[in-house]
Amino acid sequence: MALTSSGSVPGARFVDPSILSRIGNLELLARTVVDGFINGLHRAPYFGASIDFAEHRGYVPGDDIRRVDWRLFARTDRYYVKQYEADTNTNFCLLLDVSKSMGFGSKGVTKLEYGSYLGACLAYLAQRQRDRVGIITFDQAIVKHIPPSAKHFNQLLSTLEHAKPERRGNLDAPLKQLAEFFRRRSLLVLISDFYEDPDVILESIKPLKFLGNDLIVFHVLDPAELNFTYNDPMSFEDLESGEQLPVVPESFGDEYRKLIKAHVDALSTKFSEHRIDYTLVNTGEPLDKALFSYLSARERLMRVR
Amino acid sequence: MSFLAPLFLVGLSAIAIPILIHLIQRERKRVIQFPSLMFLQRIPYQSVRRRRIRHWLLLAMRAAALALLVLAFARPFFPQGAVAAAALSGAREVVIVLDNSASMGYGDHWDKAKTAARRIVDGLGGNDRATLILFGRNAEENVRGTSDRVGLAAAINAAKVSSDATRYGPALKLAESILSRSSLKRREAVLISDFQKIGWGSAEDARFPDGITLTTESVAAADTSNINVPSVQFARTAFSGQERIVVTAGVTNRADAPAKDVPVALTIDGREIETKKATIGAHASAPVTFAPFTVGETSVRGTVKAGTDLLPADNTFNFVAAQSEPVSVLIVDNGGGSTVSLYLEKALAIGTTPTFQTEIVPAGRVTAAMLDKRSVVIFNDTVVPSSIGGDTLKRFLERGGGVLLVAGDRSSWLTEDADLLPGTLGPAVDRASARSATLGYLDYSHPVFEIFKAARSGDFSSTHIFRYRTLDMSTTAGAKSANGAAGAKGATNTANAPAADTTNRVLARYDDGAVAAAERRTGTGRLIVWTSMLDDSSTDLPVKPIFLPLVHQLVQYLARYEQTTAWMTVGQVLDLNQTSARIRGERIIMTPAGQRSTQRANDTSLLELNQQGVYEVRPAAAVNGRPEAIAVNLDPAESDLSPLDPKELVATVTGHASADAARPSADAATLTKDEAEQRQGLWWYLLFAGFLLLAAETAVGNYLSRKEKFL
Repeated sequence: MALTSSGSVPGARFVDPSILSRIGNLELLARTVVDGFINGLHRAPYFGASIDFAEHRGYVPGDDIRRVDWRLFARTDRYYVKQYEADTNTNFCLLLDVSKSMGFGSKGVTKLEYGSYLGACLAYLAQRQRDRVGIITFDQAIVKHIPPSAKHFNQLLSTLEHAKPERRGNLDAPLKQLAEFFRRRSLLVLISDFYEDPDVILESIKPLKFLGNDLIVFHVLDPAELNFTYNDPMSFEDLESGEQLPVVPESFGDEYRKLIKAHVDALSTKFSEHRIDYTLVNTGEPLDKALFSYLSARERLMRVR
Repeated sequence: MSFLAPLFLVGLSAIAIPILIHLIQRERKRVIQFPSLMFLQRIPYQSVRRRRIRHWLLLAMRAAALALLVLAFARPFFPQGAVAAAALSGAREVVIVLDNSASMGYGDHWDKAKTAARRIVDGLGGNDRATLILFGRNAEENVRGTSDRVGLAAAINAAKVSSDATRYGPALKLAESILSRSSLKRREAVLISDFQKIGWGSAEDARFPDGITLTTESVAAADTSNINVPSVQFARTAFSGQERIVVTAGVTNRADAPAKDVPVALTIDGREIETKKATIGAHASAPVTFAPFTVGETSVRGTVKAGTDLLPADNTFNFVAAQSEPVSVLIVDNGGGSTVSLYLEKALAIGTTPTFQTEIVPAGRVTAAMLDKRSVVIFNDTVVPSSIGGDTLKRFLERGGGVLLVAGDRSSWLTEDADLLPGTLGPAVDRASARSATLGYLDYSHPVFEIFKAARSGDFSSTHIFRYRTLDMSTTAGAKSANGAAGAKGATNTANAPAADTTNRVLARYDDGAVAAAERRTGTGRLIVWTSMLDDSSTDLPVKPIFLPLVHQLVQYLARYEQTTAWMTVGQVLDLNQTSARIRGERIIMTPAGQRSTQRANDTSLLELNQQGVYEVRPAAAVNGRPEAIAVNLDPAESDLSPLDPKELVATVTGHASADAARPSADAATLTKDEAEQRQGLWWYLLFAGFLLLAAETAVGNYLSRKEKFL
């Protein structure tokens, strides 16, 4: 695959081979049954032609007699048809927040870049398991919409490459709008910094859960945002509004950390209540670690089920 | 306040340093971009404390200390202080410019003005000098540059209101010239006046240089109500052989309220003949007409007096009314019932100023005595009778008589008197068969034709003349004698060069160049030859509109008629040789104030009329007899008491808005800047105050910083 030669495909740098080498053996599996046309790793809501046996059912005229379980007929003298789990592929859609606040990075890597890496890796995994990939970037409105398709991986990477934090963000309007794009059950990955009231965020995200979409939320935050490591008195300028606020951090760093923790906790609680996978990603930590831990947890959960 | 080293004031910008430090510190603070202030804003904290200045007292103290230090280095001083210092040592040159024009007689203006002048004199120092200028229309130095205060006070007390009009220009110029010459350091002019607006013209170029101050003392009253008689008019009528005059006086009320029942009285020769009541509107004039009175042989002196007010001088109007003297004209023609003089006689019968007294006498009956008391003799197409030939006519001309020779076919001049004519009469030219002659050239500079000078003032071109006599002006006796010396050069007095002979003058020419009218002067007399007829026999001139004025002009000119004036105005100058020509030799002049002066025959005959009233002129030889009277009245403008803003006058004269503004630059020069600054030593106090303030600031700053952890 051309991905290994970075630069040949725009955005290929987001698919870091060193990262993928660690997570490549993991499978990103949809937790819920999703629709699909071609055989894949996801369980389809229909019985199909996989090798995994699902159940028996009574024969009805019209059934393919090749599917009749003759051994059961021998035991029970009744016709039963064997049904198998249908393996299928799904739509994978990356929802990436490109608002101005995502342009923040205290350690060189901005949240947007970090989110792009994250999204690209997930998309690569999805692509590898023959899922259709698409991407929607948004700030206060939808910026770019690449519908899921088996051939859209390169476009997805290109979109990530060109995503720029330019405008103010607002989760509510774009999320409600993009919920209408998904006609089939999809795997949605939402990457944002969620500077909004938790209740408002939840209200905005709810529509994505309709149609039984599987929603995974990554809350990307910079270490500076999490730990508030400033000491000198300085003015803080809001990246989105431009508003300035003179602050003496030493006097209320603790206060801030409390507030951000409360925010993260609130989001975590509310998302889990609505069966939404929520992961807080610290851009100060290596991406592979984050991905690995998430995917491991996810697989573990799948097995439990 | 002035500064010895004003450049140090640039240091005042240092006051901005404490403020700038505050601002720069605030601005230099790092700005960190942060994704969202969502959480920061929720933290209740006084985070803007550094933005505001909390210790205004400290800031004010620092700024004030800096300002004081800078001011101290700039070495300030007060120029007024310098003036005050100079006042102790410098002597003054003061010019008291006192208005004594007629309007100062209004109410107590004059007393107030004199009091103000005396006050100035009292304020003079021992070394000060003062000049007293009294001015009306002109200005004169009454007392010149003296320190004698008693003499000055006496001069002020002796000064009287004159009858003059007001003019500030000459007085201010005189004051300026006196002050400019003065060697004293402080030079002042004080103008004491009622500041009549009428006395200050825009053309006045009185201007004080820097260093001379002008102060004003206005005695003007707010109430400028005044009644005056600016003029009278005469209407003359003839009544049973005598002349009657109706006097109409104009009375002006310059008050804001109408004047009701103002008594207006006419006095003739000291006898009041009528009093009428007049009501005059506010700022208006009304005519008052009196009953006619008869004028005898001698002139009468009249006075119109209207009402009483604070300025009585202009309530009286004097005049001298004399019988109008008719111009006596003798017309000599051929007689015998001819109508040759009809047009002339009719034309001269019309007219009032003057009237013409005409007598037509046939040539045969003319006697030499007839010329006596005649002003003009007209020989109308006739032979000049020998009875008046010889010296008679010449004497008549020499004593100022006038002769008009209307040259027709029958005209002839006495050969013995040929030198009285401007030329030689030649044969007649008949233009009846061809195109008639017209007057092609008129000498409009001549008094006869002067009134026709203006456009559309007389159309001579439509006049047709069918027959005229030629006048050869190259052969006159006068021309011969005049050209006698130049005869060798062949110069002749041709018609084309009449200017060569000043006694001969061509007044008009026909279209063919022939002389139509020419004048020759003999003594003070004048003789004019008119080379065509003045009846309708060979010209249509008598039926043209220009005929009447032409004849009147000719006769008035020949009679040397001048309209007499019934009154003069104060300030006018009279030539007694003209007005009182009858009085020859020494004249005695009595002014209205009763001053008597003698004018000798070889003295100047000019008389300046500077008093209101009636001047009398009589011959010194005659003890009795009625003297000639000259009525003199105030300038009517003097009655307009509307005041001028003295500041305006000061501003115009000095170029400064006020007298005070002009002063510092002048007087500060008396002490040099260095001296003034050194004497005052203000910088020392300022420096001390500045350091004191800095010390206080340190103390306050320490106290405050102890009170708070940081500022």
